[in-house]
Amino acid sequence: MSAEKKPDFHVVNHAVPRRDARVKVTGKAQYVADLKLIGMAYAKVLRSPYAHAKILSIDASRATAHPGVYCVVTGNDLEGLNPYYGHAVKDHPLLAIDKVRYAGEAVAAVVAVDERTAFEALELIDVKYEELNAVFTPQEAMAEDAPLLHEKQFEAGALRGFEGEVTAGKGSNICQKHHIKWGNVEEAFKNAAAVVEGDYYFPMTYAYAMEAYVAIADVTDQGVNIYSSAQHPFMVRHDLKSVFNLPVSKVRLIVPFVGGGYGSKSYTKIEPLVAACSWKAKRPVKLQLTVEEAMLTTRSDDAYTWMRTAVDANGKIIARQAKIFMNTGAYAENSPLVVEKSTNRCVGPYAIPNVLIENCSLYTNTVPASSYRGFGCAQVTLPGESQIDELAAKIGKDPYEFRLANAAKPGEEFFPGMRPFDGTLKQDLDTAARAIGWNTPLAKGHGRGVACSGSDAGAYPLTSTVVRVHADGSVTIMTGSTELGQGSHTVLPQIAAEELGVDFDKVNVVSSDTAITPYDRSTGASRTTTLMGSAVLEASREAIQQMVVMAADVLKVKVEDIQTVRGGVRCGEAQLNWSEVISKFYALPDGEVIGRSYIRKSGRFSALPVFWEAAATGVEISVDQETGKITMEKLATVGDVGLAINPALAEGQDIGAATMGMGIGLFEELIYEGSQLVNGSILDYRLPRFSDLPKEVELHLVQNQDGVGPYGAKGGGEASLNSMAANIANAVDRATGVRIRHAPLTPEKVWRALKDKNIQGSKV
Amino acid sequence: MMPLRRFAMHQPKSVAEASQMLAEFGEKGRLYAGGTELLLAMKHDLLRYEHLIDVKTIPGLNKIELKNGTLNIGGAATHRAIEHSPAVKENLPVLAQMENNVANVRVRASGTLGGNLCFAEPHSDPAALLLALGAKAHLQAKSVRRTVTIDKLITGSYETSLGADELLEGIEIPLAGKSQRAAYVKFQLKERPTLGLALVLDVDGDNIKKAKAVVGSVSPMPTESDKANGLLTGSRAQVEKQLLDAAGALAQAADPVDDLEGGADYKRHLIGVFLKRAFIKALA
Repeated sequence: MSAEKKPDFHVVNHAVPRRDARVKVTGKAQYVADLKLIGMAYAKVLRSPYAHAKILSIDASRATAHPGVYCVVTGNDLEGLNPYYGHAVKDHPLLAIDKVRYAGEAVAAVVAVDERTAFEALELIDVKYEELNAVFTPQEAMAEDAPLLHEKQFEAGALRGFEGEVTAGKGSNICQKHHIKWGNVEEAFKNAAAVVEGDYYFPMTYAYAMEAYVAIADVTDQGVNIYSSAQHPFMVRHDLKSVFNLPVSKVRLIVPFVGGGYGSKSYTKIEPLVAACSWKAKRPVKLQLTVEEAMLTTRSDDAYTWMRTAVDANGKIIARQAKIFMNTGAYAENSPLVVEKSTNRCVGPYAIPNVLIENCSLYTNTVPASSYRGFGCAQVTLPGESQIDELAAKIGKDPYEFRLANAAKPGEEFFPGMRPFDGTLKQDLDTAARAIGWNTPLAKGHGRGVACSGSDAGAYPLTSTVVRVHADGSVTIMTGSTELGQGSHTVLPQIAAEELGVDFDKVNVVSSDTAITPYDRSTGASRTTTLMGSAVLEASREAIQQMVVMAADVLKVKVEDIQTVRGGVRCGEAQLNWSEVISKFYALPDGEVIGRSYIRKSGRFSALPVFWEAAATGVEISVDQETGKITMEKLATVGDVGLAINPALAEGQDIGAATMGMGIGLFEELIYEGSQLVNGSILDYRLPRFSDLPKEVELHLVQNQDGVGPYGAKGGGEASLNSMAANIANAVDRATGVRIRHAPLTPEKVWRALKDKNIQGSKV
Repeated sequence: MMPLRRFAMHQPKSVAEASQMLAEFGEKGRLYAGGTELLLAMKHDLLRYEHLIDVKTIPGLNKIELKNGTLNIGGAATHRAIEHSPAVKENLPVLAQMENNVANVRVRASGTLGGNLCFAEPHSDPAALLLALGAKAHLQAKSVRRTVTIDKLITGSYETSLGADELLEGIEIPLAGKSQRAAYVKFQLKERPTLGLALVLDVDGDNIKKAKAVVGSVSPMPTESDKANGLLTGSRAQVEKQLLDAAGALAQAADPVDDLEGGADYKRHLIGVFLKRAFIKALA
């Protein structure tokens, strides 16, 4: 905690218990899986066994005739719809059309009276394929004789969110290219006192959420109604509007609780398919994927990075250069934006005068990659933060001191054209180092690491909200932000309660129904507290302004004579709370006041990023030199969050993110053997367990109220993930003297590195 | 995991009736003894059966008892029952410890020793330890009974010598008494062990009279090696010097395979590491 004294907050900055805790732990919380509409049918999906193949024919007659089956939907049944969607690039057909591009792609769906019947009918569909050559890595996709995944040029999605040109579908397998450049790297490397250089690999990972994708669609003449586990209902609405060629007002997305997202639930996933099923079956249809199917739906981009970094004689970082190839899988999904962000995130959070980063993502015949917590930052922080330690070792400096000397300073415009840095990395790093006992003696076989990251948050400022103050003094917030476990439905009412001076328990939240709640661009990029929180704060203040005018009317005085007090107004001797103002205004104990706000890219939100998401992590690990197994001894997280509206929730996000990053550092990796994903189930894909948690954990927040959000808040919850893989690799190097540049650092990989070191007597 | 396909569940009253059902249903039927492996495979649509024969409800098939110097465990006894059995904890603590580390508590509460052995999943903890302990399996088909050692029961990956209408009635483990030292150690990163190593020694003071080392999970079935067992006998100091050679012999016999759990060379190396650890643990 910062030593600076905070203003006296009544509700915010307090760890009030989360709103949804009781219903969630008692199993009463409703998710889409719990919902059932009258006359609802169930869909199951037939998936391609081939990575790349022409579809010669589909015969669904036996499946259609199967008792209990309403209909079968294939790519041949989509006439009348615009079957290609994608918010960045419209390259994704809702069911494979003419060809399949990865093993596991949806080829047909059976709609039946129940899930089992639909499943049983799948094997009655006869699909004839002609296999095509396939590519599985960026290197294969770039080869001269590589088969082309996408033959046609695509429309850009309307909600692209990135500035680059659409490269997809232009006669190569390139999905997106991006680069940044300033200074003169060639010159800088020539004059450098020391340089480190290496190739790094960040694996394909799956953003495991307890809830797999699930949606219910009801398509009628009146429009399209969908219940979905989507993070961003308004983005999904836009894709469906385009698939069905409807006005926005006729597409309704309703999102109840979401059982975890971590990026995997962002943007459109199964909604167009389930809507097409309902459209053909002429009844509501539910589609619930299994975890194994979800693992065939999206993943993170794996990244091959070559990077070099240089220092001058004074230990100042003078140049960084990188070439990144990302494997984006069969469809673009959100990867064009991931490419842009990972390019930017190679730099931070250091002030480097000479930079050249070139990034290119390629289509391959693998599961499509998309958003993943950290959004491209983890991919490049593995090389970035590894090289900080490698460079420190090379010039004989303490890596922690070396970081401090080079980290971006508060207010420094370290990334040309972007918002000056709004965090305090020195304090973040100091706190992390102290928490893990950086300078205390280390046991044999142990190593420590302190690392940081600072991301240009992708939070685009476009948000609106309504805060309704009722005649009994209670409040309803109408928000398009989705509660996916991060705690938005606790934090937003804390802000309204703080502003309006009402009890936290009297503020209710209605959320994520595009027919009812005002537009919010997304629930992603750690933006909700900053942007929706600001909207709730402003809407609450706007409601107060209206109630001041009402109070003047009721008390028959001038507006200027009304003074606001916590929870109401005063005018001379007279004091009215909001309930009294509203009731007297309407002359009945009923009615309400509607406060609104619109957030856009202007004023304090005009500079992008809206905030830098910054955090430091500290680890101590030990290595079993015989097996190569790493044990997490200590972990410290430091979230540089400006102000924690709810400190317990902010810390919860940090430990969650750091644990997820630890998983990538230690064992998480989707593995392809040939055309098939061979560990596509949670039996074989190793996720962190409680027993993997570090023996000692310290969670810290740095709260300097330096964000643009409410009371100086800014986003958190992703940054603690980004540095973890590098941090573990750095600590392993310090423990054993081996440098591993490919995550995850599985026991076998560590053992092989140790063995090579013992043979060669030098670093690998 | 997909929805389970339709199947009928049968609950025979006796081993003989279960055997009769097996004969009747043929390839369309399978014994259900907890389902922790079977139902997973069925949910992944890797196996299909129209009839499951639930042996967990057969009276007496889950009993755990001491008889004439042997520990007898019914085929339908759960891992959790074995783990918590006073008879096991007192007379064969190594078995209780091993069971305590099988999978997770949900699997242990539902899965059975018989189910584990007869499914013959190659990463079985019990199979490796029971082979080292010299356990015998009592098999019954209708009225015909036979007894085999564990290596004669498990014949390969997911393969056993069980006849089409035969089931595992129980396991009999000899109790060697005070001179026995035993340990089971394993290395596990994922849901199933990468390697399990069981070591059972018969000691007389500083002398190891008899030794049996079994490595599991690294190859299709648990393996022992006469050569390794020979190198593990003698004075403790002498055996300590021969541990690496014994591990080499055991690795050669096991002939580990490359798979998602690791490369064959890594597994061969781990056999050495864990034989040493088992040796230290057994004699601690």
